[in-house]
Amino acid sequence: MKRFLILPLLFFWSLAAFAAGTQYTLRVDGLACPYCAYGIEKKLKQIEGVEKIDVDLKKGIVIVDVAEGVALTESQMKQLFKDAGFTYRGMEKKPL
Amino acid sequence: MTRNKVLKIIGAGAASLLALLFIAWLAWVPFAEGPGYVFVTAWGERGSAPGQFNDPTGIAVHDGEVFVSDARNARIQVFDLGGRFKRAFGTKGDDPGQLGRPMNLAIANNELYVADYWNNRIVVFGLDGTFRRAIGREGKGPGEFNAPGGVGVASNGDLYVADFYNQRVQHLKPDGGFVSQWGQTGKIGIWAGEFNYPTDVAVAHDGSVYVADGYNDRVQVFGWDGKFLRKWGGPFGMNIHGPFNGWFATVTSIAVGPDGNVFAADFYNDRVQKFRPDGTFLTAFGTPAAGPAHTAIAVDVADDGTVYVVNYDANRVEKWRPRE
Repeated sequence: MKRFLILPLLFFWSLAAFAAGTQYTLRVDGLACPYCAYGIEKKLKQIEGVEKIDVDLKKGIVIVDVAEGVALTESQMKQLFKDAGFTYRGMEKKPL
Repeated sequence: MTRNKVLKIIGAGAASLLALLFIAWLAWVPFAEGPGYVFVTAWGERGSAPGQFNDPTGIAVHDGEVFVSDARNARIQVFDLGGRFKRAFGTKGDDPGQLGRPMNLAIANNELYVADYWNNRIVVFGLDGTFRRAIGREGKGPGEFNAPGGVGVASNGDLYVADFYNQRVQHLKPDGGFVSQWGQTGKIGIWAGEFNYPTDVAVAHDGSVYVADGYNDRVQVFGWDGKFLRKWGGPFGMNIHGPFNGWFATVTSIAVGPDGNVFAADFYNDRVQKFRPDGTFLTAFGTPAAGPAHTAIAVDVADDGTVYVVNYDANRVEKWRPRE
């Protein structure tokens, strides 16, 4: 009986694991001003699949979690940061 | 050329440079002409409970009450003049009456005008928090906004909106109907009547319109008839920033006091600067930043001359009184 319970649990766990998205860390200057930080957040949240945005003023980074199958590209970010009035510095990514 | 001659030339050059710097200092760094301000009290800390803030960004004082934009909590909090919590209103969202990121505030005709940076509109509440109406929508056309940072209200109810990402200030009828604009939509400029991310507007009793021209590091003034009158902030008032008297490092809020003097939040310099209506520097005051952000982001003045300042870095409101 236990085996029958464990198998479905493992199945759903593996689905959740494979459904995990990606976390991007974007480097940017000038985040101390909320007008700037909110501008970036506003533009990022308009991208479909963006699930969470955290701004770390101290480190000058924006951390963005996206859903599975969603990818942020360098050119997309360069344009987004340009539109928000910033110079894009680069990004790193890791699986969630 | 002898060594002595070279030294003489270098010495003369250095002396000339120093003399030029001294003249420039006298020309562009004014001395305080008014009395200073003393810190009275402060309230608030980071959080989401009543009396706590998560990024306070705007302030308006009216009839014994202090209204504060609590941006990340998407609400307006109201206090008495001593900082005792009275009420809060606004919920997070983009439905009518909800708030995204409330920024600078204005009060006129017993209504509170909230510049909603994320929802691209001006939200109007009764002073008790009852939602009345919303003005504008997202866009770059007449009467549309791209991240409004602040609003000023004229005595006839007309609005002047700092349309941050559209690089303009719009003059609208009370119902949101377009009248005119200063600045070219979407185009940054440093000359008179042009803008570089404008953040706030205040209307004086005589109808003059004062604009916090954020990243141009200056104040621009227009007449009630729309004519450009003057600008100030650093040499020539054209995007030269600095920490000196009368210079700015991003102007994020502006208010006109009961005697017509102008108060500007000088965000990256962590201070409020006070000027006569003609731009003469009077005094400056503020609190140094303790954290990674900066302090003086918004300012308003009560009828008795007491100044209320939003300290963004410390998540609190500060009360300052003119020195006796």
